[in-house]
Amino acid sequence: MKELKANDSVSLTNGSKAKIIRELGRGGQGIVYLVELAGQKMALKWYINPPDKKFYKNLEDNVAKGAPSDAFLWPEYLTTYNQKNSYGYIMKLRPQGYFEFGQYLLARAQFKSVEAMINAAMKICEGFKLLHLNGYSYQDLNDGNFFIHPETGDVLICDNDNVFPQKDQSGILGKARYMAPEIVIGKNAPDKFSDRFSLSVILFLLFYGNHPLEGARVLACPCMTESYEKKFYGSEAVFIYDEANNTNRPVRGVHNNVLRRWPAFPVILRDAFKKEFSEDCLKNPEKRKIEAEWQKVIQQLRDTLVICPVCNQETFIEDSASPKCMNCGKSFVLSGILRIGTRDILLTPNTKIYIDLDNKPDIHVVSVPGDKYPVQLRNITSSKWTVETPSGKLKAIEPNMAMPVKAGLKVNITGTSKGEIL
Amino acid sequence: MGLVDNESIPRRKMTLFFLIDTSGSMLGSKIGSVNDAIENVLPIIGEISDENPDAEINVAALEFSTGTRWLYDEPKDAKEFIWQQVEAEGLTSLGEACEELNKKLSRTGGFMSSPSGCYAPAIILLSDGGPTDNFEKGLKLLQGNSWFKNAIKIAIAIGDDADKEVLRQFTDAQEAVITVHNIEALKTMIRIIAITSSQIGSKSTSATDATKQEQVIEEVNKAAADVQGAETAAAPTPANGDSYDEWD
Repeated sequence: MKELKANDSVSLTNGSKAKIIRELGRGGQGIVYLVELAGQKMALKWYINPPDKKFYKNLEDNVAKGAPSDAFLWPEYLTTYNQKNSYGYIMKLRPQGYFEFGQYLLARAQFKSVEAMINAAMKICEGFKLLHLNGYSYQDLNDGNFFIHPETGDVLICDNDNVFPQKDQSGILGKARYMAPEIVIGKNAPDKFSDRFSLSVILFLLFYGNHPLEGARVLACPCMTESYEKKFYGSEAVFIYDEANNTNRPVRGVHNNVLRRWPAFPVILRDAFKKEFSEDCLKNPEKRKIEAEWQKVIQQLRDTLVICPVCNQETFIEDSASPKCMNCGKSFVLSGILRIGTRDILLTPNTKIYIDLDNKPDIHVVSVPGDKYPVQLRNITSSKWTVETPSGKLKAIEPNMAMPVKAGLKVNITGTSKGEIL
Repeated sequence: MGLVDNESIPRRKMTLFFLIDTSGSMLGSKIGSVNDAIENVLPIIGEISDENPDAEINVAALEFSTGTRWLYDEPKDAKEFIWQQVEAEGLTSLGEACEELNKKLSRTGGFMSSPSGCYAPAIILLSDGGPTDNFEKGLKLLQGNSWFKNAIKIAIAIGDDADKEVLRQFTDAQEAVITVHNIEALKTMIRIIAITSSQIGSKSTSATDATKQEQVIEEVNKAAADVQGAETAAAPTPANGDSYDEWD
């Protein structure tokens, strides 16, 4: 492989040429260059050891099909197969303000709010749901694949050159720490079920800041060789909070993040992970949660996140009958609850409410001091809501207008979600 | 502490060892290139370490001539390792170097103790000659050491006078010995080998059947093919136009 220099040009399969401006960075697989194509600045990933023709053909197919959604930083153009002893693909540049997931793990980047963290979790699930819906499987999910914005929680999914059709193999297996046990021990080839395992590891790392399979037992291993990895992430993988097996519990002084956050985040999340990393699911790939089920858990989590009216920090409220802030410790009263189906969405002033699974808030709970209704719901969508009073009167709430938080009011927000204020 | 505050995820330590022949024959451009190459590759290793949530990479360097000397008492973070220029003079005590390495490849009294554990080390041996002391004794000790057995081991034979057989015994793989015939090749291969061993050694494995050692060997050999003056141990391929199919 020959490295490229400034002003070199590479020929693309669509007949045009891209010009190298400079190197942006390099990883294990390739070098990324800033290039100019048709007046636009883009990124070229150039392989250090060009993978085989099958890999190239798959890239061609992916370029032709296009990305499953705009959450994916997807190959858009491909260089011809053999020039300068290698090949590469061109994608959009990563926008400013996004940090690699690894930086969050290393505590160098940090979410501005729990709301942002939850948005990130939701968007990652959505991305994988779409990927699988389009017949692909990732096969190499790990911490290097995500760029996350710390304020909005927006996520860009990268390194999509290892995205392959579901029954096909890229030959790349990923990192043992993120790989499903059946792949680590070489029993199965990667597929959407093993993708889902990797997804749950990413979600666990995102929420709790430690790895779900690394506790006392794994820590006791002085040298993590390839064969120990096959054991601790494969044949003898044990969840750190496994109900039946306590040999791998987190260790004080080392696993401080999860020790602090495990009890702090709500029980629905703990239960979800206990099930997902139970021996049953570790050994039976088809029992793992599908992305939509994770999204439901994350939505429930979000429904219980409110702004404390006393100290203004975010807090989870698990017992809506007697809300107490996790930060200042003070008890307070909820302004109300919006019940949609089986969901109880808790309301306090300044809280943002998300009705559906996209990461756009739909309601802003606002405080209107001096008003007959001191707490109101402002419509921050671009469509009209319809409110029905207990006596059957209908009112329209246009975007930016607000409705009172008054028990008995029914509201139709997105057309399919009808809620009632309790 | 707020709900979003956290500390860094605990990382295993991976130690990259440089074992450098500083015997009299290395005097001049050879030792100058080694100093230059290592000094320049350390910041790159530091960056690899910085971006890596799996492991942090520490560096330790041992020079051996008539005796042996560790550049620092303990391994240092790649970013903080200030390279001390080494000078060439004396014999080639590779056997003693092996014994020193064996001592440090342990948790008690050695470099391998860490609160969050380790990955197997990577060891790069650079030599231009042959051992002048009891190499077999030193190697035997090392071969009984688990850290050494599981380590990534690569050797650079500097010039034609280097004892390639000794280097092969040390690395336990013929393809893990790269011979360099000029200064540029020496500098380039030090860089490639240091970066490749660090990248592969400091990450969770990809659970293929190839060990990390095999992966490093493969990548290094591929890269060496493009380096003028670097010679791998692979069998020579026939030149274009020569065909030996009838001998299959």
